[in-house]
Amino acid sequence: MRIPAPSALRQNLLCAAALGLVFLCAPFPRLQAVVHVLLVLALAPRAGSPLTGVLWAAAAGWAFEGSLRLYPHLGGTAWADMTLTLAAGWMAGRWPLEGLKGWLARLACLVVAHTLLVHTAVRLAAGPHAWGPGWFWALLSLPLWGWATWRLLHSGPSPRLG
Amino acid sequence: MALRAAKWGWSHTGWQRLLVLLLWLGHGTWVLLGPHPGRHWARAADVLSKPGQGLASRWAQWRAARRVSARSFAETQAENERLRAELAQLRTQMAQEAPRLMEADEAVRLLGLKRQVPLDLKGARVIFSTRPAAFGGLILDRGQDLGLVADQGVLVPEGIVGRLWSVGPTQSKILPADAPNASVAVMLMRSRATGVLQGLGSGRALIRYISNQEVVQVGEAVLTSGLDRVFPRGLLVGYVAEVAPGDLELKVQVNLSAPLDRISTVLLLPAQPPLEVQPPFVAPEQKPQRKRGTP
Repeated sequence: MRIPAPSALRQNLLCAAALGLVFLCAPFPRLQAVVHVLLVLALAPRAGSPLTGVLWAAAAGWAFEGSLRLYPHLGGTAWADMTLTLAAGWMAGRWPLEGLKGWLARLACLVVAHTLLVHTAVRLAAGPHAWGPGWFWALLSLPLWGWATWRLLHSGPSPRLG
Repeated sequence: MALRAAKWGWSHTGWQRLLVLLLWLGHGTWVLLGPHPGRHWARAADVLSKPGQGLASRWAQWRAARRVSARSFAETQAENERLRAELAQLRTQMAQEAPRLMEADEAVRLLGLKRQVPLDLKGARVIFSTRPAAFGGLILDRGQDLGLVADQGVLVPEGIVGRLWSVGPTQSKILPADAPNASVAVMLMRSRATGVLQGLGSGRALIRYISNQEVVQVGEAVLTSGLDRVFPRGLLVGYVAEVAPGDLELKVQVNLSAPLDRISTVLLLPAQPPLEVQPPFVAPEQKPQRKRGTP
């Protein structure tokens, strides 16, 4: 069964909300990393409209790095976010979603790739740095935020909740 | 218009893709620039200016080396000049002191001779030589002021020179042993045959009154015999140079050992010296006797 794409308005609203959460979670870096990954990999990608996704990803990356205030040269996370968002949007168009399990598996793969690419880009941009536990929390909480985004974007409200 | 837009313009999706591409590439470039992007330009400028910097560095090194070498050359030249002046000064000083050194050496040799001959010898300098002239001699700087009298023997470490011919108040004249009118009582060292030495000039002399029966060898030493009461017995006169038999006596030619042409200082024997001079007796040192019972 082919799942229809979410509406652009809902997706953009969710992205805006997530971006606001990225700023609001600045005192809690681990939570901020999870929200940032959620925005970049789950909410921003959209098949057929790469520009919107790239802009949200760039905004998420600059917001995340800017609030962290750790690196001497910013931009690595934003570039990795843009790349992964483009890849996720391409994957969404190339392999349309067919269920929650595929969505979670795709997100897991994207989280791993995102982690590696972010740290590579940050190393290129700012030099050696500490990785931090954000990627771990993002991967650990993947079922939770993956399920939530699945419900918010692709499957609509829960039938049980009405 | 539609045709133109289709011909010249891009679609909405194309513009979006171009924008995405530019964003992505711009971010990638920004990431690749890394921290302190200005350092790339500085590094590029360094790379571009490296040949010029190398040339400038070599030029500066060459100039510094040339300056150092020029300075060292000038210093070397100055040192050479200083050493040359010092060498010339030392040579002048050495030339000035050479006569004094020769005189000192001569004095040391005379002192040695004086110690060997246990007589009251007096020293004098030769201030002039008239030997090349007929009946010439040597002029000494001392005369009656030193108590000199005629017929005092004169000798140098190499051998006898002659005798005092005339004595003035402050100068005196030596009659050399090779003068034709000079005579010295001599004897041959091996045969002990005695004779009279008569001068032949140019450092040579002839011994008279040696019998044909005597055996004389060339190279044999000729000593004074002491019979003339001018020289004591045993002073070296010269060496036999040639021996030829004569009608009544041997003709024995002698080369005088004293360098009569190069004498600068002489010793004067006392008048009427003893016939034979004993060498100074030196008593052997007595060993300290060790007492019995002492270690």
